[in-house]
Parts: sequence; C-alpha cells; structure tokens
Amino acid sequence: MEAKKAAAAGSLESSDVLVTVSPAAGSAVELKIESIVIKQYGKRIRSVTEEVVAKAGIKGVSVHVQDRGALECTLRARLETAIARAAEPA
Amino acid sequence: MTDSVLQAREERWIKKLALAKSLKTRCPGQPASLAVLTLRMPAPLRTSGQFDELARIAFLSFAEEAAERGIRILGEEFRLGADGPEGYLAAEADALTLKRAAVDLEAGDPWGELVDIDIMDSEGQPFGRKELGMGPRACLVCGKEAACCSAGRTHDPDLVAERVRGIAKRPRLSLKGMAERIGRLALTATLLEAAAAPKPGLVDPLSPGAHRDMDYFTFLSSAAALGPWFAEFARLGACHHGELSGLLPILREAGKAAERDMFAATGGVNTHKGLIFSMGLLCASAGRQTCAEPRLVASSAADIVQGITLRDFVGIGTRGATAGEKLYASEGVRGIRGEAEDGFPAVIDHALPRLRAGLAAGLSMNDAMIDALLVLFTVVEDTNVLGRAGREGLVFLRAKAEESLGLGGMATPDGRNAIRIMDNLFIGRNISPGGCADLLAITVFLHMNEMEPISR
Repeated sequence: MEAKKAAAAGSLESSDVLVTVSPAAGSAVELKIESIVIKQYGKRIRSVTEEVVAKAGIKGVSVHVQDRGALECTLRARLETAIARAAEPA
Repeated sequence: MTDSVLQAREERWIKKLALAKSLKTRCPGQPASLAVLTLRMPAPLRTSGQFDELARIAFLSFAEEAAERGIRILGEEFRLGADGPEGYLAAEADALTLKRAAVDLEAGDPWGELVDIDIMDSEGQPFGRKELGMGPRACLVCGKEAACCSAGRTHDPDLVAERVRGIAKRPRLSLKGMAERIGRLALTATLLEAAAAPKPGLVDPLSPGAHRDMDYFTFLSSAAALGPWFAEFARLGACHHGELSGLLPILREAGKAAERDMFAATGGVNTHKGLIFSMGLLCASAGRQTCAEPRLVASSAADIVQGITLRDFVGIGTRGATAGEKLYASEGVRGIRGEAEDGFPAVIDHALPRLRAGLAAGLSMNDAMIDALLVLFTVVEDTNVLGRAGREGLVFLRAKAEESLGLGGMATPDGRNAIRIMDNLFIGRNISPGGCADLLAITVFLHMNEMEPISR
C-alpha cells in the first residue's frame, strides 16, 4: 500500500490526536511525533504508531502525530483512519 | 471511545476550523475568534445526557460574561452531538481577550472545572493556556496534570464519576446573584444592629442614646442608602484579579461614593462611616471566597488592608487632625484599622462565639445581639468612646459591661436591669460606643453569611 495523497484524521482538542499522513519520496516511513504528555507516554506513542503503520504495510509516507493526551485506542483509530484515507485514490 | 464519538469529535474539529476561518471574511480588518465549550469528563459521562443542562448553563454564563466585558458576540449555537453537548460562540475580539474570559470562567465558575473552552483565532490556530503563560489544567481527582491522568486512565472511572457528580452538585449563583445575596445580608445585619435594644449610649428604637443629632430613623435611612453599595463591594471583590492589596484603592473610591450617599440620606450626619469601611471590606472579601467560614472571610479582609495603619498614619507626628489620628499619635490606638488588619479578632474570638452561644441557649436574636455587644465593650478600644469621653470613659464602659455580663446579661432580670441603668450612665458621661456597634453589625453579617445556604 502506498500513500496517494495527504490526509488527516482526528483533532487538536483535549484528549484527542491529529494524525496527518502524506506521501514522501522513496520507500521509507518518516515519523514526527509531538505530544503534551511526551515525557510520560512518548515511547508508547511511538511504538503504537510504528506498529499500526507496519501492520497497514504502507510505505513512502510521512506520518505526523500531534497528540493532545489521547487514549491509546483513540490513537490507533486515528492512525488507521488517516492511513486508509491517504491510500484512497486522489 | 466509540466510533461515533471519534467521528463526532472530528466533525466538530472540521466545523470549528471552517467557522473560525469564515470569521475573517465576515469581519474584514477586525480581530475575531471562536470559542467552543465542551464537557471536560470521560466520554461515557459526557454523552450520558446527565450534564447537558450543566453545559448549557455554563455556556450561557460564558456568553454573558463575554458580553459584560464589552466583547461583541457575532453568533452563538448550542447543540447536543454524539460526543455530548457543545456550544459555539463567535466573537469580535482577539483570541487573547476571548481566552482570558474563558480561563476566568474555568477557574471562577463553580462548574468551571467541568468544562473546556477552546479558543481558535480567525486563521484556525488554537489559542491555548500556554499562550496566556498559564500551566496545564489540573486533574479533577488528584490535582496533577490532567492530560497525563486521562491519557493513561490513571484513575478508577467510578472515582472520576463521583468527583464529577460532586462538582456538578455545587450551588451556583451568577456574579450578580452572589453580589445581591451578600449585599442583602450586609444590609440585614446593619438593620438588625440598628433595631437591637437596649444598646447603652447608642441609638436604638427606644432612645437616641448619647446623641442629639440622630435617631433610629436616621439609621434606617442611612442603611437603606448603603444597601446597593454593599452589593457593589462584593462585586468589586469578586472581579478583582491579582494581589489583594491592589483591591484597597478600588474599595476606597467606592467607599467615598457610599459616604456621599450616606450623608445625603441623613442630612449630613455621620451614622455609618466606620461601618462603610469595615463592612465594605468584608463584603469584598465574602465576594471573593467560595467558603463562608467567618475566620477565612475576616482573614482575607485583613490581607486587603495589610499595612494600612502605618500608611495612613505616617508622618502625622504627635498631633493629628482627626480624632483617630490624635488617638494614634498620643496613645498608639489603631482603632478600626488595627482591628481589620488583625482579621477582626474582637468579632471572631469574642462577639461571634457569644452571639452563637446566646442563640443556641434559646435567646432571641435581639438579646443574643445585646450580649455580644457587651462582650465587644469589654475587648475593643473604641475610638468613638476615647474621642468623646477619654480613657476614663473607656475604663468605665468596660467595668459596667463586665458587671452586667457577670449578672447574666440579657438572660437574667438582674442583667437586663443593669443594662438599662448603663444606658442612662453612658448618656450622662457622653459615652457612645459606635465602633462596637459597627462590629456588632459585622458579627451578625458573618454569622448569617455562614448560616444562610447559598441556594440555586
């Protein structure tokens, strides 16, 4: 699977997360993670993001996570939606 | 979170962005921003419907507060979505101004902890607490950073729900309702003090005491003129942000205007000048506190006037112009300023316990008040007495008050008889303990402020 266009899911409201997925050159996956709870949950957010991206099998993308204290299940759902949207034909 | 909640939150976000950006074309060249109020609690509670009304009332209060700050409101919408209630308010104000109103409500409203008011500028940029230089909001359960606790589901959901319900049960009064309540109680206390009899040397319904220029009716007129001012002092106290000492010059300005109204109502007689000072302070303090415990109300009043004696009396030398200045210069008597600076110890430690003991023992309000007044005679250095009858007069007053209290005060025939005789003795010596009378009104006010429930 590859990203055909830029797409987003979620919001910047409290306890939510805004995930933006956009096509990037090559086949690498670039992650950019921001969180208001980076100190406490930064590692977990990164590993969940890597896991969901790997499971989707999407390559050649840049994934931007702007977390506002979302629950893990919210983060997963937002990642999956954003990736699916980015993979849809432009 | 369920899919419908996730979807509703995303839709709200997209709607917010579109609305915020549309403000740019609606108000070209003008600052404009958008506020969105949502419930700050876990999704199952937020979407339960139990707190819809709370959100609606908080949203209306926010709109009212914004309008009172002179912010022009461009549009309002309150709706119930799949993620719970949400209120949208578009305003002709920059994001900073609107965010200030938002954080003041979040911090100052009894239900403020249960709402989030997000602000977005007309570029679609969120304007948060950080931009105001404020720290993150505190967790409802443990007081630590809320985002950490909610992201990690740190607390038992039942505990969170219990805490949310506890806050939702808080009584709620608007700023106006709060100020009116305090103003009414202060006026009631002032009237009850005037009506209590017999008050040795003082004006009461039976006698003008040691006075020729005023009577009971003068006091009623004066009290009526001061009622609205007491509410105004409460409002000024509630609206003040920052150091408490910064409130004093504001209260003094209002106090001068209140004095003018008093003199107009009494034909130029000073009935309540001292009371305007002390009751004004306590109304302002009561307006700030969420707690009505008398000692706390009195101690925050003390914080407002900290250092006032030294500041007011600096450089008066050994002679003073007013009676209070003369007494401070010659004897170091601080008068009502000192009493206020110390947190009204004569009231808190002496008069109020006596009033409550009297009421608990079955005395009428009148009789419990007179006993509390006698207790004040024994502990207060009343500058009205010192000014008119000297140190000798004060010693005499204390001895007589102790004597009648020793006989049982208003609870016994002997005590009552001694109090009646005291009245004539004081009139003969020109003794009028007006400072104690003011402190009796304060005592009654603090008593009622704690006892009367704040109704919804």
